[in-house]
Amino acid sequence: MLATGIWLRRLLGWYTSSPAPSGKIPAGVVTTTAVVPTSVPHPGSVDASLDGEHLENSMAAVAPKSPPRIADGAQRIADGYAPAGAHDELINHGGRIGAHWQPLLAGLEALSHEQRLDRVERINMRVREIGIAHDVFADPNRTVQPWRLDLVPLIFSTADWSVIEKAVVQRARLLEAFLGDVYGAQTTLQNGLVPPQLIYSDPSYLRACRNIDPPSGRIQFFAVDLARGQDGSWRVVDSHLETPAGIGYALANRTVLTHVSGEIFAASKTVRLAPFFEQMQESLAQRAGRPDPTIALLTPGPRHEDFFSHAYLASYLGFLLVEGEDLRVDDERVHLKTLNGLQSIDLLVRCVAGASADALELDPSGFLGPVGLVQAARKAPNLVVNALGAALAENRGLGGYLPELCKSLLGEDLAIWDVKKWWLGDAKVRRDVLQNVDRYFIRRACEQTGRPGRAAPARDPATLSAVERSLLIEEIEFDGAGFVAEAKTALGTTPSYGANGLEPMPYAVRVFATATPNGFIVMPGGLAMTVNPGASMALTSPEGASRDVWVVSDTPQPVFKSLWRPAIEAAQTQRSLRELPSRAADNLFWLGRYIENADWTFRLLRNCLSRIEEDSGPHQDWQLMRTALNLQLQRDGAPPVVVPRGLDDARVVAHLARELMVSTDRAFALPQMLGHVHRVASLTRDRLSLEAWRTLNAFYAGREWQPESLPTSIGESLDLIDMGLGVVAAFNGLSHENMTRNFGWSFLDMGRRLSRAANIAQLLLAAFGVRGPNEDDTGSFLFALELADSFITYRSRYRLKPMLAPLLDLLIVDETNPRSLGFQAAALVGHVDQVPQAGKGGERTEVQRIALAMLSDIRLADINRLVETDPDGSRPALTALLTAQIGRIPEISETLTRRYFSILENKPKWMRAQSRQDP
Amino acid sequence: MKFEVSHRTTYHYRRPVVQSHHLVHLHPRQLARQSVLHHSLLIDPAPVKRSEVVDYFGNTAVLLRIEDEHSEFVVHSRSTVEIAAATTPDVAQSSAWEDVASLVSGVGPNPLDPEIQQFICASRLAPKSRDLMQFAAISFTPRRPILAAALDLTQGIFREFRFDPAATDISTPVARVLERKRGVCQDFAHLAIGALRSLGLPARYVSGYLLTRPPPGQVKLAGSDASHAWLSVWAPETGWVDFDPTNGIIPRSEHITVAYGRDYEDISPISGVLLGGGAQTMAVSVDVELVA
Repeated sequence: MLATGIWLRRLLGWYTSSPAPSGKIPAGVVTTTAVVPTSVPHPGSVDASLDGEHLENSMAAVAPKSPPRIADGAQRIADGYAPAGAHDELINHGGRIGAHWQPLLAGLEALSHEQRLDRVERINMRVREIGIAHDVFADPNRTVQPWRLDLVPLIFSTADWSVIEKAVVQRARLLEAFLGDVYGAQTTLQNGLVPPQLIYSDPSYLRACRNIDPPSGRIQFFAVDLARGQDGSWRVVDSHLETPAGIGYALANRTVLTHVSGEIFAASKTVRLAPFFEQMQESLAQRAGRPDPTIALLTPGPRHEDFFSHAYLASYLGFLLVEGEDLRVDDERVHLKTLNGLQSIDLLVRCVAGASADALELDPSGFLGPVGLVQAARKAPNLVVNALGAALAENRGLGGYLPELCKSLLGEDLAIWDVKKWWLGDAKVRRDVLQNVDRYFIRRACEQTGRPGRAAPARDPATLSAVERSLLIEEIEFDGAGFVAEAKTALGTTPSYGANGLEPMPYAVRVFATATPNGFIVMPGGLAMTVNPGASMALTSPEGASRDVWVVSDTPQPVFKSLWRPAIEAAQTQRSLRELPSRAADNLFWLGRYIENADWTFRLLRNCLSRIEEDSGPHQDWQLMRTALNLQLQRDGAPPVVVPRGLDDARVVAHLARELMVSTDRAFALPQMLGHVHRVASLTRDRLSLEAWRTLNAFYAGREWQPESLPTSIGESLDLIDMGLGVVAAFNGLSHENMTRNFGWSFLDMGRRLSRAANIAQLLLAAFGVRGPNEDDTGSFLFALELADSFITYRSRYRLKPMLAPLLDLLIVDETNPRSLGFQAAALVGHVDQVPQAGKGGERTEVQRIALAMLSDIRLADINRLVETDPDGSRPALTALLTAQIGRIPEISETLTRRYFSILENKPKWMRAQSRQDP
Repeated sequence: MKFEVSHRTTYHYRRPVVQSHHLVHLHPRQLARQSVLHHSLLIDPAPVKRSEVVDYFGNTAVLLRIEDEHSEFVVHSRSTVEIAAATTPDVAQSSAWEDVASLVSGVGPNPLDPEIQQFICASRLAPKSRDLMQFAAISFTPRRPILAAALDLTQGIFREFRFDPAATDISTPVARVLERKRGVCQDFAHLAIGALRSLGLPARYVSGYLLTRPPPGQVKLAGSDASHAWLSVWAPETGWVDFDPTNGIIPRSEHITVAYGRDYEDISPISGVLLGGGAQTMAVSVDVELVA
């Protein structure tokens, strides 16, 4: 019973270390051979949106059991905090610390410096996990984290906040009135309140949208960047109306900070954000003008650096996430292409540049929205928010004209003025500014970037080279309308937690507002960012040194219900059944395929490496391990791995396994494989629960998974592989437990089943298609059973030494074994009968026929025939069955693609037809 | 004078077009001295949706959506237009161009129609540049009346630039037209507009037709006319005055105006976005006939 001994050992644990196995040294270079057809490649970038299952409430902070107390002997945290003269948030002019900071300071003092730094580390780990600020296609190996969140928030008392709140509401009303005028009667231009040239020279003035007059207003989402001058007075740096710029980041910052510092958050009686978003959601629903409206968030797609923030906001508010290509304008209404055909959209939350939203009537090269959108908006003016063309009000040149505009349009004095700015399209102003140009920063009047931290830095003529400086002046003289001059001002500071404790940092803060039927409301929070000292006050720092903004109340804040999926959850779940966009189905399908392939790669590595470590002697089928590793290494047509001369069996396997772990050129080796998993998961971000996403994002966010830090020793490798298997298992468990069984689930699971079927069939064909010389040694049986994770089932069921017939029965025919081919085929048949356009009335679709053929072949298989061997050792029946199964897998994949995703595949591009005027 | 215009455009697509959206500017514009007596627009294949809109500049435009798969697309516009001859302005009596430039760029209360400022701003096809400014400066000498200078500019283009349809296409930038001194009416109009705007002067693009006459003793060939383009310059004394740089003249009564805008892109006769189609060829046949 030697074999049993091996089994028991394996059950005891994988990590028993033993010396490397000895063996004969084979002569010559060992190369490997390709055995199996390649897998189907993923069709490329696409994105998604869906379900009713969803996300946790990270917002509801843990209530503290008792208020934090200052640790005995702890140094007062604010000792040594020395703002350099400008206005500071923490220490007011009397040199005292404002009462609204006390709970935070007390909370921080209850921690040691090391504990605080540990929190800083956890915060930034969490930022990476949530993935709010990363670009899906960015290099995961970059060392600079794109978004950092400070341990110390910016804190306002309710009194201070109400000043900001009133001013932001006023400004939103003012710009709403201004846009209404410019896109309508233009009296402000006629009576000279705004220079017409300022408007006409701005590319975001969309002429086609004049006289489209949304009854609910043009501004739904509004944001302003504010900074304090030296004297502590607030100034507006920039306004944002093109997209809901940055609100997703603010939301994510809050989620992360309360996760890590929840007790301080609660002790500070910080006003919660949820009611604001709930009102935003209700207002949007009302704006759509009918019960149970279909609301979609239009994103430029996953290649856009803000995609995550769009996906985050869409899942948070319960909206569909769509791209221009997912939409189509029919009969002057916007529709979404879904698996079930066209579904009409009631409201489009626009996260794309207005000018690029309709190639027919706006920028002819802009395909970020559906062709015909402008006409659809003419017919239903409330359709798009913010309204097309709203970005006009972002023009920095307006700043100097706002005080008069405010008097004229609202009959009020402007509460907070802009940073002193002069539009250089005015000849007289231009002359004055150019006489003393070094006193100013020069900025573009129209910039069109809402991403926090990505505003273009101002140009400072004083620091430019003589040549650059004179070029700039020449440019301004020739076409001043495109520029503003901005006064140089010292900035107020706020504390930041760094290596040396609290340090004052110059900052600006973005504040968000949204329209409701009762007027604009302001989010009680925001996004504060460090601003480069000595530069313009604008949010230009791409490192994104950000902080949460807390408005603290005098009264305890009620714990609010979950922010994720509030009131309309039920309706949304219902709707998502009908509305899976083709793109989302495609991505979920590929997510399933990649996850399963990753699982298989992990299992293969574990089985091979643990056998090397165990040294179980002659009973190992090294040849099968090599074959299985080579199968995986050479998928997608990769060349054979060159193995150095003179290695023994175990070392050859170790070499191949290492290649499968670290090679960056092989599609099924870990680096690319995990890259695929992460990428497709990113694209389906809005379809996954927060937990499911965080689980998978470990492959991206975890340092241990970066190619350069993959372990070299077998023991460490096994630890990492077990962790990887844990991640996959956790994801599978989460999706199994939490995903609504709708079309999205069907496509995810079909992807998984197809990959699993392919992996098992290929293994069985390689292992048993031809009778191996050592087959009776059970090494290969054991390996196959373990790789297919069916060893325990086998042992408990058959209680005998592994033999081929029961093994094939378990791994092929037995539909109760979740790892068998039969199980996969049965699941596939179930899914293809469920998805839309399934054959009705007995007429089967192509994909149904193929799936049924797979299942029928398995059900009709006779185990006794499968194990029969020809005189040359081949097993014709087994080979035929497995070859047919393997051949059908790409067939199903391609048929699904053609049938369900074809709207996206091989699609002819939109192109322009134009005439030309010849003479 | 009364004209009948037939303008037929046929597109051939190498691969079928599955769906298309079009924006058409072919309806002649009603003007003080131009009345449109009749206009019809024939589309084949028939659109599933056809909407008439008045565009930003007051031109009549038609939006079309075609759902039938097709390899050929025909737009046939027929119009009857009556035109009263314009009195030729006394170009020497207009304001000095510098005064016009400062008048239209003024900030603050201003009795002028703000829309005029629209046309001093760069647009994509008629941008401003220093090169264009220098080119314009040859005609725009100090204190020269704006219309006299504009006439000189357009006649300079007429003399020194070669009409050469092969030299440019729809995407050729004005800078290249200036450099190579070749192009078609559209290029010359954009060039002149860009040059005027580079000096801060208001200029707009006009699209339309021109009555052509066969060489003496020959019969005019059917379909031998074409759609035409020229520009309009604003002066305080006269308002907008047309100039035709392709022919070096101030149009009087034989230019039929279809539409005006900042540049071709605003009022392209037929533009569209197609799903499918592949390579395309276009055949245009225009007849302008003087009927009374």
